[in-house]
Amino acid sequence: MRIGLKGNRLLEYLLVFIVAVTLNFFLPRLMPGNPLALLAGVDVGLMTPEERAEVIIEAGLDQPLWKQYFKYIGNLLRGDFGYSYRQKMPIIDMIMDRLPWTLLITGLSLIVSSILGVVLGAIAAWYRAKAIDISLLWTMILLGSMPSFWLGMLLISVVSVENRLLPSFGAITPAMSLTGWEKTKDILEHAVLPVTTLSILSVPGIFLTMRYTMLGVLGEDFIRTARAKGLSEKVVLFRHVVRNSLAPVVTILAIRLGYAFGGTVVTETVFSYPGLGRLIYESVSNRDYPVLQAAFLVITIAVLVSNILADLMYPILDPRART
Amino acid sequence: MSTLTSVQVEKTRHEDKPVRRRFNPSTFAGWMGGVIIVGLILVAIFAKQLSPYDPAERVGRPFQPPSAEHLLGTNDIGQDILSELIYGSRVSLTIGIVASLVTMGIGTTVGLLAGYFPKRLGKVLMRIVDLVLIVPFLPLLILLAAYLGRSLFNTVMIIGVLSWAGTARVIRSHVLTIVQQDYVLASRTIGAGDLHIITMHILPQVLLLAVGQFVQATSGAILLEASLSFLGLGDPLQKSWGTVLYWAQVRGVFLTPAWRWWVLPAGLLISLAALGFALLGFSLEQVINPRLRNSH
Repeated sequence: MRIGLKGNRLLEYLLVFIVAVTLNFFLPRLMPGNPLALLAGVDVGLMTPEERAEVIIEAGLDQPLWKQYFKYIGNLLRGDFGYSYRQKMPIIDMIMDRLPWTLLITGLSLIVSSILGVVLGAIAAWYRAKAIDISLLWTMILLGSMPSFWLGMLLISVVSVENRLLPSFGAITPAMSLTGWEKTKDILEHAVLPVTTLSILSVPGIFLTMRYTMLGVLGEDFIRTARAKGLSEKVVLFRHVVRNSLAPVVTILAIRLGYAFGGTVVTETVFSYPGLGRLIYESVSNRDYPVLQAAFLVITIAVLVSNILADLMYPILDPRART
Repeated sequence: MSTLTSVQVEKTRHEDKPVRRRFNPSTFAGWMGGVIIVGLILVAIFAKQLSPYDPAERVGRPFQPPSAEHLLGTNDIGQDILSELIYGSRVSLTIGIVASLVTMGIGTTVGLLAGYFPKRLGKVLMRIVDLVLIVPFLPLLILLAAYLGRSLFNTVMIIGVLSWAGTARVIRSHVLTIVQQDYVLASRTIGAGDLHIITMHILPQVLLLAVGQFVQATSGAILLEASLSFLGLGDPLQKSWGTVLYWAQVRGVFLTPAWRWWVLPAGLLISLAALGFALLGFSLEQVINPRLRNSH
């Protein structure tokens, strides 16, 4: 059994990365106005002459464009995302502070939403066109129409403020030196509402994919064969139908991860959750462009990595794809 | 429409079951969506007549709860929230609809070309579609909006230019089957050029499908606009429903009882608009898209 990535898929991901990097490179340089301000992320007037000179040298503004480009890529490959003149710290440090929190809530919501989406999607397809299928479909269409940040705001108002059930702010209770289990509990309590919001955002898409895929599988000949053999409905459902519907769902999960990361921007903003999404919001309102760019690039890389993982998993879930 | 149904007849002839006519939930959904959309568009058109105050005017004390004068209270600078929402429907709906028109234009063009020239051009175009679909969408949207600046035009263009990939895919797969039809071959044998075939024979057939895609894209565009405005990237002079929620967030309104009249109605309107277009789009797709015709 050989599992591996097809070469052209890998090439595709590499291309996405290059496009993202190139976009990042050209945006501040081609916008009207002084590129210095865009590259530094602060008003030129607020910078000392030394800082100005540093930005020019750092970005290579005194050199031809193609040299700047290769210098930029070289820096990135060494993990150097530049310096935030507004926050007075290297951008990579800011990213590394924030990344774990985003991975935590995105990861948790990925687990929650895929379980909910797959189970509900399977139920809907199994009872196709029955009342339960129709009501699930309507629920999902309704949920999919709601802006997630608005749901987050409502959750805070109702759950945190009016009923004081869960914390509404941040990732951890500040000024309390908790340890061990207490600390874990505190972190999880802070994560409940953001994870709920993110999951509500993702469930409808996973549900629809699962339902659609499973309807396709239900129509296939081997299902009829399984029933004809006299297998119980339970065995047909779990061993044959669900098992064969999972592979496409995993691919969809990976593709939609970009969407999920997009959701973290608004969700973390609502919950003041100190992740990458909140960093994007903060750098938008501070006009800290270099940080904004770095965060975008890191999210792109995360999405590409998860796509590669999904490609690797596909043949495990679907033996037909093994070559 | 008549040409499309003739294709359908071809397809259904092979089916062993006869087509039954009964209550169709997707038709019901379509009508419901249509009613919602028409209602909201009427509100937008008659905003001036419907809203009790000028939404830009400071007409009362700040942070007032609902009263007879201000049905949904006032905001942080004393503007009437109900009037803001009524006028906001103009901004939100216009951005959603115009952005999806851009989406439809680009998506249909790319889909037509990719389906009609499937060999080289089509492969390159579909590769581009794959790329566009992988890139984390909202972060890219935010990045571009932050650089280009906050204006109605920029919001429309950014949403439109980034979200055509799905439409292109659907149109392409339909074009691929149309090209196989005999009359296209017939047209070609009597010497019709590519441009003639595309515009006279293929475009009319995919147009309906493109309209269905447009309606669905509008639902997404309305939600995207709301997200961008919520993050403070909307046009500061043209308040949309998302902008109303942005100020509610900035002022921490959801930590006070004011969420009931400030946060709740604005989000309900966004959801209602997105739902209306989603329902209509879903229903249209069931009718139009031959691939879905017999699958549900």
